Amino acid sequence: MTEMAMILAGGESPALSVLTAFRSEAAVPFGGKYRIIDFTLSNCVNSGIFNVAVLTQYQPRSLNEHIGVGRPWDLDRTAGGVRLLQPYVSTRGDRGAWQEGTADALRFNLDLLREPVNDVLILAGDHIYKMDYRPMVRFHQDHEADVTLAVRTVPSFEAYRYGMVTVDGEGRVTHFVEKPRRTHSHLASMGIYVFGRQVLTDWLTSDSGAGQRDLGGEVIPALVKQKRVYAYPFQGYWADVGTVQAYYEANMALLAETPPLDLYDPEWVIHTRSEERPAAWVGPTARVEGNLLCDGCRVEGTVIRSVISPGVYVAPDAVVRDSLVMNDCQIEVGAEVERAILDKRVRVEEGACLGCGDDNTPNRAQPDRLNTGLTVVGKRAVIPKGARVGRNVVIHPRAAIADYPNGDVPSGETVGR
Amino acid sequence: MRVMALILAGGAGTRLGVLSERRAKPAVPFAGRFRIIDFTLSNCVNSGIYDVSVLTQYLPRSLNDHIGIGRPWDLDRSRGGIRLLQPYQGRGHQQWYGGTADAVLQNLDHIRESRADTLLVLSGDHIYKMDYRPMLRLHEERRADLTLAVMEVPPEETSRFGIVVTGSDGKVVRFLEKPKDAPSTLANMGVYVFRVEALIDRLRALTEKHPDLDFGKHVIPGMVDTFGVYAFPFAGYWVDVGTVDAYWQTSMELVSGASRLDLFDPSWVIHTRSEERPPMKLGPQAVVQESMVCNGCIVRGQVVRSVLSPGVYVSPGAVVRESVIMNDTWIGPGAVVERCILDKRVVVGTGTQLGWGDDNTPNRQMPDAFHFGITLAGKGAHIPAGKRIGRNVLVEAGVDEEAFTGFGDDVPSGATIGIGGAA
Repeated sequence: MTEMAMILAGGESPALSVLTAFRSEAAVPFGGKYRIIDFTLSNCVNSGIFNVAVLTQYQPRSLNEHIGVGRPWDLDRTAGGVRLLQPYVSTRGDRGAWQEGTADALRFNLDLLREPVNDVLILAGDHIYKMDYRPMVRFHQDHEADVTLAVRTVPSFEAYRYGMVTVDGEGRVTHFVEKPRRTHSHLASMGIYVFGRQVLTDWLTSDSGAGQRDLGGEVIPALVKQKRVYAYPFQGYWADVGTVQAYYEANMALLAETPPLDLYDPEWVIHTRSEERPAAWVGPTARVEGNLLCDGCRVEGTVIRSVISPGVYVAPDAVVRDSLVMNDCQIEVGAEVERAILDKRVRVEEGACLGCGDDNTPNRAQPDRLNTGLTVVGKRAVIPKGARVGRNVVIHPRAAIADYPNGDVPSGETVGR
Repeated sequence: MRVMALILAGGAGTRLGVLSERRAKPAVPFAGRFRIIDFTLSNCVNSGIYDVSVLTQYLPRSLNDHIGIGRPWDLDRSRGGIRLLQPYQGRGHQQWYGGTADAVLQNLDHIRESRADTLLVLSGDHIYKMDYRPMLRLHEERRADLTLAVMEVPPEETSRFGIVVTGSDGKVVRFLEKPKDAPSTLANMGVYVFRVEALIDRLRALTEKHPDLDFGKHVIPGMVDTFGVYAFPFAGYWVDVGTVDAYWQTSMELVSGASRLDLFDPSWVIHTRSEERPPMKLGPQAVVQESMVCNGCIVRGQVVRSVLSPGVYVSPGAVVRESVIMNDTWIGPGAVVERCILDKRVVVGTGTQLGWGDDNTPNRQMPDAFHFGITLAGKGAHIPAGKRIGRNVLVEAGVDEEAFTGFGDDVPSGATIGIGGAA
């Protein structure tokens, strides 16, 4: 075991709205029964890497529970296995103990990196992709690189979201610009790095590196100038689901007849903590078309082009369309749900309508983030009987009937807090 | 009271035909993702009993794989937990388990060493949800030697059960195994609580005479007079899916939503070894009605009143009606499967009709067990494309397409297709 993986899962991800109100992005449910981090964890074990550390800081409880001792990934091991690393109080200096960025988080945990580990994979806990890390590690070793970054091509209008890379004929990185306004490069860094252990340790504690907080923004650009940094091209499916729209699209893409992300591949199983539930039941009055349905859900109404998590109940005459409905939500008789994301245990009461009407007014509190007509509902919120809730609406977790003083909610509003 | 549970799981379940051709009856899949024994195992742990032994004999591999070290039931423990007890050789004797009580007798050492004073003897063959704690409490309060769970059965079914007559205080005054004229309709469910010492006394007295020592036939009838035997009435759901017909009926009740068996009850979860599978996927042309479908299935055709285990693939244009389809079976494009039970990894070729027609001729080899119109295919059977296969047909496990060459395009009702060809 000369490789180990460190998964960065501590960020706040405000762009995911109420979905990350009480959990880190890595723990956000995906594809009905998964959490986002399952993809990275499964990539690790499917690549034969059984020494994994998960770095947490923001709202870690859900993630802790999900990972537990790592059983679903066979990471409950004596040597290696999975470790959850929390911020801790130390006596070094006056900076306090909170981690102030990805590089800072790594610096807090450098003592984990010791013999016999040679190479360290630094991964993000908030990407959806299937990737065998072994060829990348081999590439890193063959090129005797200090650092290797996985890169993929992106259209130039998306370059402003990524670290953009320029390479020479050998694949060595000559320039790295974080989130540039203009660039001639089409190669984007995916936030997947292989570091030589000594390179990482030395840099983060060196005179020039010790003050750096962010891996992509500060450490990599500096290293490109001084070390052997290579780019490893990756061709497969990869999605950063860091915004509500990207998250929704990545989920909906699973419904395609031949989705770019194949969850049914027996050679690359995505492991997760499965819930103990009976088979899904589709009743005599149900209509179901083009969906993903999980064990433990019960459908007596109509469900079209939606992803339904375990334990969801859709009552007779209820309609769910183009939506993501998470665990144990109740959609009562005659209710309608359209283009909505429902976190766990939401109750849509009788005859209520969610995401209804044609008014597409962007969310007034976050017009730049919620403007595509998606309505997002936080955990355990209630949509009262007969209420009509428009589009681009945010309903906060545990919103109760008292949070709807006017009954109906027009598009672009926010309910509860 | 120190309780140990002993689950009898060695039965062959011959009336289940090809479903138990390669596995013991308790390991037969049920309701999509469960095995029959999951109900008894879950009853144990949900009743707080974490010391469980499973007696196996007939084709145990599937059961061993399923139970493993008992993780799904939290039975992977340092003290107690789960043990699988196989028949064994000793110095000077070697014997298969002759009967239910004989199997217990051969494991007396194990029971003694566990230091349990109360033995809960259960069958791994039944589908039911039961909290054993009230029964154990009654057993203790009455200071009984044996308490047996009883339920009401219709008068026409009394000849299949052990029938019990009780006095006013619940004491059993008569016990008749499978009587012709039953004096009551209270039937023994095969759920026993024994005081360990009383059981040992009783078994010792009997052992010489009956190598096939059976609880219902030999042990209990004679205990009524000399021991304190009590009946515990049970009114919940209980079913023996020991015949193809009962298995199919029970499955159909479940999909209709009218069954008394609530699998969705969060306070009494039925635990099982879950497979790691993605969610079930429904294509845009899929029709699914009154069905139970598991994770890992892909449905592009029509599924009506059926149970689909994980990983079943229903191709476009295929129709599955009133059937039970087990793991990873593949239904080809345009195939029609009606009133069938298909075991794991069966392949149904393109356009083939299975369970076709109105001809209800009973199966010629096993007319007693197969005359309900249900067609069965065993594990891994390959059914070629373009065939019309009737009712009450048995396709044995593992047959390949060549086995069908003796027939034309039609396989008549009542036929059996084995590895050696048709019969």
